[in-house]
Formats: sequence, C-alpha cells, structure tokens
Amino acid sequence: MLLCGIDLGSRSVKVALMDPDGGFSFHKFDTVSFYRQHGRAVAGQLQVDFAALGLGVPEKVVATGYGRQTINVKGAEVIPELKAHVIGAIQQTKLSEFTLLDLGGQDSKVVLVARGRMMDFQTNDKCAASTGRYLENMAAVLDISLAELSRHYEHPVDLNSTCAIFGETELIGKVVEGHTTASLAAGVNYTIFKRIKPMLTKLLTDTIVFTGGVANNQALVQIVESEMKVPVVVPEYPQYNGAIGCCAWGMESR
Amino acid sequence: MQKIGMTTTIPVEVIYAAGLIPVDLNNIFVTHPNPQSLVEEAEIAGYPRNLCAWIKGLYATTLQNDDIRTIVAVTQGDCSNTHALMETLEMAGVKVLPFAFPFDRDYDLLKLQMEKLVTAVGTTWEEVTLAKARLEEVRQRVKEMDRLTWQGDRVSGWDNHLFQVCCSDFEGDPEAFASRLDAYLAELPQRDPIKADIRLAYIGVPPIMDDLYDYLEERGARIVFNEVQRQFTMPFDIDDIVEQYRTYSYPYGIFYRLEDITRELERRQVDGVIHYAQSFCYRQIEDLIIRQKLKYPILTLEGDKPNKLDARTRMRLDAFLDILR
Repeated sequence: MLLCGIDLGSRSVKVALMDPDGGFSFHKFDTVSFYRQHGRAVAGQLQVDFAALGLGVPEKVVATGYGRQTINVKGAEVIPELKAHVIGAIQQTKLSEFTLLDLGGQDSKVVLVARGRMMDFQTNDKCAASTGRYLENMAAVLDISLAELSRHYEHPVDLNSTCAIFGETELIGKVVEGHTTASLAAGVNYTIFKRIKPMLTKLLTDTIVFTGGVANNQALVQIVESEMKVPVVVPEYPQYNGAIGCCAWGMESR
Repeated sequence: MQKIGMTTTIPVEVIYAAGLIPVDLNNIFVTHPNPQSLVEEAEIAGYPRNLCAWIKGLYATTLQNDDIRTIVAVTQGDCSNTHALMETLEMAGVKVLPFAFPFDRDYDLLKLQMEKLVTAVGTTWEEVTLAKARLEEVRQRVKEMDRLTWQGDRVSGWDNHLFQVCCSDFEGDPEAFASRLDAYLAELPQRDPIKADIRLAYIGVPPIMDDLYDYLEERGARIVFNEVQRQFTMPFDIDDIVEQYRTYSYPYGIFYRLEDITRELERRQVDGVIHYAQSFCYRQIEDLIIRQKLKYPILTLEGDKPNKLDARTRMRLDAFLDILR
C-alpha cells in the first residue's frame, strides 16, 4: 500500500510517500504554486490531482499543516499539526522523551514529549519574527544565501528589534557600522534563539529534537546546543518531519 | 428613559434605581454587525494599533450611539487604558462618571464609591435595595441555567456565556431578559444532549471572538465554566449590596480571583483550563501566576480582533484537546 503524508506549510507543501516496505520518498512544492497548479476547490475541499504531481496514486492520504484549518484535503484524513510533528519526531529519532523544537516558515513550536506523548506545548502567537521567513529576509538584506547565513554563530552583532521588518533597518545600520558579514549573520541567527529561548526554557528536557526547515541552519543548532546545554538532535529529514508523522499515523491507524 | 453607558460591570442596581437604562458598551460593540469597523474608526481617530481592541471598540461605540451621553467608567479594577478612554470621550463631549473598585477590597472605600454613584445619578439607598430585589429574581434563574450547564449536558458553553455576560446590564430590561431565559430553560429538555468527552473551564475576560464555543463542541469538548461571565451574575446570595460587590472577583487581584476559580474547577470536574487574555492587556502577565497556581493543563489563548478564531488559535486548540485525550 502506498501511503501519502502531506504537510501543508506556509512556505512549502511537503509530501512523504511511504511504500509497502516502509521506504520513503520526499517531494516539496512551493505552497502558492501547489495550490494554483495541483489543487482545486470542490465543494469547499481541496482536491489534489495526484496523477499530475507524478507521484502515483496513493491508497491513503493523511494531511496536516497550517493549511489544514483553511483547506480540507478531499479524501484525506486530517490530523492536528502538533500531533503530526510529535509522531514524526518519534518515528525519525526513536526517542520517547524529548523537547521538540519545530521552526517552520511562519511558525515556532516547542512541545514537551514524555513517554511518547505530547504533554505540553508553546507556540509563537501574533508574530512570526522567529521563523524561516525571517531568515530568508535577512539573508536577502545581507545579500548572501541561506546556506551562507547558516554557517555563522561566532561574534554575533546585537540585534534587538521586536519587529522583523524594523530588524532589517537595524541590520542595515550594523552593516554601515562595518561589522563583518560573519558577525552580522551570527547576529541574525542569535535573534532567532532569543525569541525561542523562553519557550525552550519552560519545556526543556535532556534532549532537544530540532525539526522544520530552519533545522537545516547549522549555526542555530550550535547556538541552541551551547546555550541550552543539552544535546540537539536533528533528524535525517527535518523539513519532512510533519509529512513523515502523517505517514506513521496512517500506518498505525490502518 | 435615559441611557447610561458603562465600560464594564458596575453596581447596576444603582442605575436601575435611578430609573435609567444601563448599557454595557462591550456588548453593543461586540454584537455590532461589523465590530472591526469600530476598532478601525478608533484607530483613525488616533488610538494606537498595538492597543486592546475592546478599548477602541468602546470608544467608537460610544461616539456612534448618540443617545448615550453619560457613561460610568471603571477607573480602578479594570485597566488604565480606561483612563485615556474617559479622557478622549470627554473631549468628544461625553459626561464621564468615574467608579473605582478599591484594590484591597476595602468595604468602606467601596461603600463610599457606591454612595457617590447613588448621588451622581440622583437616587437613594432605599431605591437601590428595591432594585437589588428586582434583579435578584433574574439572577436566580441565571444561576439555575449555570447549574444546568455543569450538572447537565444540554446547555452549550456559548449559551452559558451569553446569558451570563448579559447580566452586566440585563440588556436594559431585566424582565424581558428573564422571559427570554425562562423560554430557553423551558425548551431545554427537548434539546439533544451535547456529546463531549472533555470538560473545560474558560477563565479570563470574555472572548472577543464568537466561535470558540462551537469550535470546541464540534471537536467533542465543552466549556462548563465561564469564570468572569459568571461573576457578572453576582452568584453569591448576599443581602448587603456592598458586600456583594466586594465578593465579586473580577475587579480585584488575581489571587482573590484564583480562590473562586479553584473552587469552581474542583466542583465542576474539568479536565483542562483555557485562559483567555486580550492582546496587549496587562492580564497577560498574570498568566504566569495562573500557570503556577492551577494544577490543571492550561492553554493560554490570546485574542486580538473581533469575530472569528484565527488559524493559529485553532491549531493550538486542536493540540490542547489532543493533550487532554
């Protein structure tokens, strides 16, 4: 049986396909193009044209994600987002006691997991300044790639703006002051940590499992590890964690 | 009869005793066909964007209802934003009567405040006592409705919220309100029971969005305790009206409120607590005390604009219910 897990994120739609042997293949689509090209609303539900996606026709679809509240995927079972991420993290790391840190395009989530169950959680609320979208913007301001931004954590410049947009202005000010790109990039990565620190502190355990697209930021992994003084585990497919969680849930509930 | 606005619950007996019609401005604001337009109107006038939507709504509501030329504003026991609300309304020619709930719940100070209100609206303590007896008739029925909420399974969280929240002003006509409630209670036995395996408490100011209760019930969870709304109904059976408003918890400190909350959570056997706080409200700080003091799973919700739950809040509610199951 071909199982399909879909995580409808704010920046990209992540698809995990699980074949009968338990092997995975992954596919990523830009969110807006995905909705424009592959989905159409039928009676208030999103009908996804799997044939056109070229992924084969799955027997079962499990969906989650930010879009789940606005769009019901037709024929899919829909599970809560945090649940999908917790199941995905357990599936990938085989851990059952940890603090899950998920940083996505517009979301920051911290979940306390004990005995394989979600016990408590915190999320960002009215502001998305601690997320992937912020890193993309700041990389653009510095005129460097995300990969380059993700390398630096030493000698960070101090950035304090509450607002991500004003943060750009503040960063430009630091550029004018003559700081190195490495310091500027480290400063940007540190601002993310400062935002999530209160959430992590409240729900800290012996291990942090870091997922979401931002987990690809090696500098941030270093910062979280050295500041929180616990090991940070980044699973093999951090960005597909929610989609993997959907597949794992689909397997369980068969 | 002349109308008199109010920024939150006050000793409404005094207003009825004076033969005036009390109007809780919050209720007018939030039931407006387009409440967000009122918030925007206040912002155009110069109210900051990063400020409580209730205050902005109250400002524009008062200006739009030109039959309300006097308001009673709670200057202590609610937020300091009310002070600037009073001042900006005064600028617009509205007469403002300040009312202060003493922070330490001092009996004499509270009595003095009520006395000043009695004088300001031109009534007497005798009339106030009569008005209290009149309202007590209605309050008893609301109390029964609340009892049926947690001891029965047919009163929805929304209905519980709505009937109780209306007790700040009894919609300007206590008897008409009572008959509406009587009709509701009479047809209750014919209603389908609400199917919900999770019992929740809602604490904090009433929500600015109106779909929270339905959203939860669609997912098998129901609210059986609305903290502040219940306080608006004065559910105490106290003869002394000063003592009644001293027992009323909302305008006083969080520790006093927590005594009432703890008692009711226990009595109503809830599985979890939703603490609602308005964006930019000082009560958001008190969340940290609530989290330390209440030994229940707690979800803190933040509401900003009127109307519907946003996608983030729905995601958080889903996750919370998931934890409780």
